[in-house]
Amino acid sequence: MDLRAGDSWGMLACLCTVLWHLPAVPALNRTGDPGPGPSIQKTYDLTRYLEHQLRSLAGTYLNYLGPPFNEPDFNPPRLGAETLPRATVNLEVWRSLNDKLRLTQNYEAYSHLLCYLRGLNRQAATAELRRSLAHFCTSLQGLLGSIAGVMAALGHPLPQPLPGTEPAWAPGPAHSDFLQKMDDFWLLKELQTWLWRSAKDFNRLKKKVQPPAAAVTLHLEAHGF
Amino acid sequence: MDVHLELRRPFQGLHSKRMRMTSGFRWLLATLPLLCLMSQVNGQKRGAPRELKCVTASFQVWDCSWKGHGTLYEVCIEDRSHSCYHLEKANIKIPALPPGDHVITITSLHEFGSSRSKFILSERNVSLIPETPEILNLSADFSTSTLSIKWNDKGSAIPHHSNVIWEIKVLRKKSMELVKLATHSTTLSGRDTFHHWNWTSDMPLECVSHYVRLRSYIDDPHFSGHKEWSDWSPLKNISEIADSPTKVFPQDRVVLVGSDITFCCVSKEKVLSAQIGQTVCPLIHLDGENVAIKIQNISASANSGTNVVFTTEDNIFGTVIFAGYPPDVPQKLNCETHDLREIICSWNPGRPTSLVGPRNTSYTLLESFSGKYVRFKRVEASTNESYQLFFQMLPSQEVYNFTLIAHNPLGWAETTLSVNITERVYPHTPTSFKVKDVNSTAVTLSWRLPGNFAKISLLCQIRINKPNSVQELRNVTIKGVESSSYLVLVDKLNPYTIYTFWIRCSTETFWKWSKWSSEKQHLTTEAIPSKGPDTWREWSSDGRNLIIYWKPLPISEANGKILSYNVSCSSEEGTQSLSEIPDPQHRAEMQLDGHGYIISVVARNSVGSSPPSRIASMEIPHDDLQVEQAVGMGRRILLTWRLDPKMTCDYVIKWCNTSRSEPCLMDWKKVPSTSNATVIESDQFRPGVRYNFFLYGCKNQGYQLLRSIIGYVEELAPTVAPNFTVEETSADSILVKWDDIPVEELRGFLRGYLFYFEKGERDASKMRGLESGRSDIKVKNITDLSQKTLRIADLQGKTSYHLVLRAYTDGGMGPEKSMYVVTKENSVGLIIAILIPVAVAVAVGVVTSILCYRKREWIKETFYPDIPNPENCKALQFQKSVCEGSSALKTLEMNPCTPNNVEVLETRSTIPKIEDTEIISPVAERAAERSDADPENHVVVSYCPPIIEEEIPNPAAEEAGGPAQVIYIDVQSMYQPQAKPEEGPDLDPVPAAGYKPQMRLPVNCAVSATAVEDDLGKTAGYRPQADVNTWNLVSPDSPRSTDSTSELEPEPLVIEPKHPPCSAFQKRAAADTVRRIHARRIPQQLFSVPL
Repeated sequence: MDLRAGDSWGMLACLCTVLWHLPAVPALNRTGDPGPGPSIQKTYDLTRYLEHQLRSLAGTYLNYLGPPFNEPDFNPPRLGAETLPRATVNLEVWRSLNDKLRLTQNYEAYSHLLCYLRGLNRQAATAELRRSLAHFCTSLQGLLGSIAGVMAALGHPLPQPLPGTEPAWAPGPAHSDFLQKMDDFWLLKELQTWLWRSAKDFNRLKKKVQPPAAAVTLHLEAHGF
Repeated sequence: MDVHLELRRPFQGLHSKRMRMTSGFRWLLATLPLLCLMSQVNGQKRGAPRELKCVTASFQVWDCSWKGHGTLYEVCIEDRSHSCYHLEKANIKIPALPPGDHVITITSLHEFGSSRSKFILSERNVSLIPETPEILNLSADFSTSTLSIKWNDKGSAIPHHSNVIWEIKVLRKKSMELVKLATHSTTLSGRDTFHHWNWTSDMPLECVSHYVRLRSYIDDPHFSGHKEWSDWSPLKNISEIADSPTKVFPQDRVVLVGSDITFCCVSKEKVLSAQIGQTVCPLIHLDGENVAIKIQNISASANSGTNVVFTTEDNIFGTVIFAGYPPDVPQKLNCETHDLREIICSWNPGRPTSLVGPRNTSYTLLESFSGKYVRFKRVEASTNESYQLFFQMLPSQEVYNFTLIAHNPLGWAETTLSVNITERVYPHTPTSFKVKDVNSTAVTLSWRLPGNFAKISLLCQIRINKPNSVQELRNVTIKGVESSSYLVLVDKLNPYTIYTFWIRCSTETFWKWSKWSSEKQHLTTEAIPSKGPDTWREWSSDGRNLIIYWKPLPISEANGKILSYNVSCSSEEGTQSLSEIPDPQHRAEMQLDGHGYIISVVARNSVGSSPPSRIASMEIPHDDLQVEQAVGMGRRILLTWRLDPKMTCDYVIKWCNTSRSEPCLMDWKKVPSTSNATVIESDQFRPGVRYNFFLYGCKNQGYQLLRSIIGYVEELAPTVAPNFTVEETSADSILVKWDDIPVEELRGFLRGYLFYFEKGERDASKMRGLESGRSDIKVKNITDLSQKTLRIADLQGKTSYHLVLRAYTDGGMGPEKSMYVVTKENSVGLIIAILIPVAVAVAVGVVTSILCYRKREWIKETFYPDIPNPENCKALQFQKSVCEGSSALKTLEMNPCTPNNVEVLETRSTIPKIEDTEIISPVAERAAERSDADPENHVVVSYCPPIIEEEIPNPAAEEAGGPAQVIYIDVQSMYQPQAKPEEGPDLDPVPAAGYKPQMRLPVNCAVSATAVEDDLGKTAGYRPQADVNTWNLVSPDSPRSTDSTSELEPEPLVIEPKHPPCSAFQKRAAADTVRRIHARRIPQQLFSVPL
């Protein structure tokens, strides 16, 4: 992938923002409690930025997978990608979820997706692609930390990782190359859906938590990336 | 098989017996066909055994069978032991008979009795049909699509060592399509042997069933009978995979670019399409819904492989194929070491394989003497950069034999290199490079060079740079050390000089230089100045003081920073020293009484003093010298002189700018006494400046001036023009005088003046282009420099002259100075110039007068003839009497009129026939001819605007009865040239518009009044071109009247007579109209203009 200066700066700005705001997370810093509002806003912004970043990465990666994966109307059945966390959920079910459940689902999903992404990175054959993937992984790691911050701010405990989950999530070598490519395709697709869903989740949460007048938020200038 | 059929007939039996006894085998053969025929006929008739057939599978037992209807058979074989067998079947297995013919007698017993057949049997009649083989095992390697069969040749049953040919058939699909028919040869060894045969299918075995069977053929050279193929073995099959998680085959295969490959898909649903990459492929249908596609000449894959996808209604199956190349032979394998501890081998991978990741090429570097190896594997896509492997050196091994093996799933390649590693040393860049002083001309250099070089010698190169000097390279050889620290002495340096050092190393057995170390600058220490300063002296103008000059020492001689100078003067009486003079001052003044001193100058730096440089103060008198001239080139000037043996020390040339005041000294130069020429060169020299050069010779410790030279390094054109004045002017000459140009402005040696003069006023023309060679410019070149005046003669008096003067040197022309001078008047010429024209004018006048007088009559005739009075012309008087009373009538009335209403009256007036006229114009004639053809409906617009003219109705006109007598000016002018204007009114009493015939009217007022009586007062306008007498507007005879009469009669037309033409224009226009009407003779329409 063509790493433009704008992307790097954007990511850098994003990470700096994340780091800058980490002390502001109430769980970590109880003294000057600004409430969870800013950290939700920041998480929301980061989600939107990741959505943007994924668009570029997916283009590069699907081209790497070759046709028909990079064809616009390619929509294969979900074969062998059952272990990927599904983002799609019935609207009624989704509405019935409470904030804690939603955040927990988000957190778990991104933990798993991140494992997959790292596996993808190990297999990528070109250095350029690896750089793009590593770059995205870093961003996603940032999002995960951000979600953890929001959960802590709201007083929700972090979901405990199941023992031995991490390695098990890594895609197995038994896969054929084709199924692996299908998994990769679905991984990107699920990531896209999850990011879209998370943006909705955080937006909802933001409106809910934030008193309308006291909102002092930091907006990331995502359009410049 | 020879067969005898023997019935129980003595004749036949005897006969056959006799024949057997008396004839040979050949005869028997000859009779065989006949016997066979008889045997068949009889046998068929009576059920005798027939068609004895014997086959063998193992050479040892013959299996014979025949046809017959017996219930019991007796078979007797006539060989050494005449043996008979009783059988119930028509089949017998007998041990193989020895070579030769044997008579077999088969007696068939049946209800009718018995019948006997005799057959002659030998090995030639026996068919060799091997036993039907059986495939013991059919196995498939699905990963390679290889079928493998195993069978037993059952060789133990056959005693001979025979060749066996096996024919193997591979069939595909349930419809048993033959895909392979192969033969396989083996040899029977007398034992049971298992054989194997492998076949690789182009179609993956997973997708379609494959069937295999085989048969054999024993090719025994000893067997003389008929050999036949065995029966086919029973089919063995490998079925397709019915239910597999993988649906497309082969999976993840690596193939060579350009190969053909078949992909297949196991599916229960209907496969709709298949594509490889972006290319859609035609489907090959296999059993069930399984399909395959065939790819030919596959192209190289991208990094992630080429995808092959089969699409069904609601699913998609696929595989990835990796098409690439086997590794290229590694190129440019090079092994070298930086430090004799580790060998670095680098190479170029050559052609890319298109295979990356786990299928990328792996490299193994194997050292054959030690058997050690190192591996290299890169997962990333290979760029074309160089690859490297590190191999740890082994102690006490110098020669290494490397083999580099490149390997990938499609093949391998290797290259070898044998090196003596001590000859392949490419040292690291030297580090910690330092310089240390030893003395003013020597330093030591030290550096570090990591590596185990104890056993070899290093060759190092030192690059030495000195300001304003060429770079110097010095090679040194050093014994290699374990400690990596090296030290070398560099001498023959200059004191007090900034040096820059670099170093690089190689080994004595040169392979490669290391990179240059970083540079190190060093200033060497000072040493005493090597020479005294270059000294000169000048006596002051009053001759009392001696001024001593010296030049600063060049750095190469100063050997340090000069701090001060010591000047002393010594004579026989003693030595006198001046106080120390600090450095920037290079001049000292001493008051000396008398000559004969020796001045010495010493330069001193921090280390010590230079040797003194001495100069004598004495000035030896010289003869009168002629000042010479010299011109240099560029910034140099060459001076030569004659060698004078008396000059013992040296020559000195000193120079100065002539414009400077005394004592004048710019610089000096010392030349050895053996030289007779020198080139003076100085940055101070400027072109166009005059310098004085003085050559001194040195003898007896004194200096004598030998020559004095003025010169320029380069001559230029003068910057000013000479100032000139006119001393004297006469009528034909001018005397001009000019001044010298100052030396500073001359800028070269003056070579002459150019004087131009031409006639010209101050304002008229500048002197354009003096050099252009204009003929009217006169030029004088004055090369005699002593000449300061010039007289210009042969000039014209009282004429303005333009004078120009310019000086020139070898450097070019100077600017010009011009002046205008008017010469004095010449009185004689003026007088002559006045008198001659006056005399000529008088002479011409006199001659003219005489001529005029003599030819006066002719002149009068020509210029003043008598002119007769028209009053006296009788010919014109008749008209006056005719229209006496109508003097009031005017022909040309220039009244303005403005039409206010125009009424068009359409009329088809009858044109009276023109019958006779006194005058018919040619136009009228032509018009008359055309009149019949012409249509009558021409519109004619009257030109009379409806101006009310006060004078009409004019009673006089009515009296005259002449509305018809309208006369137009054109017509008038044509026919009445002699008529006086006054007569017009008489002739044309009515100033009316209308038609005027183109003829001379015999105007008779009375006649015209009667002719147009009816219309009088109403009609003006049209009149036919005929005599007025014939006018009859409504003539029934007129060819035109017939149809127009009724229309015209009540109001036959026309224009009111009271509307006359109002202006000349109107008249002229009306006349044009008239002419047109004339031409056509059609008075079709006129406008009635009501008032």
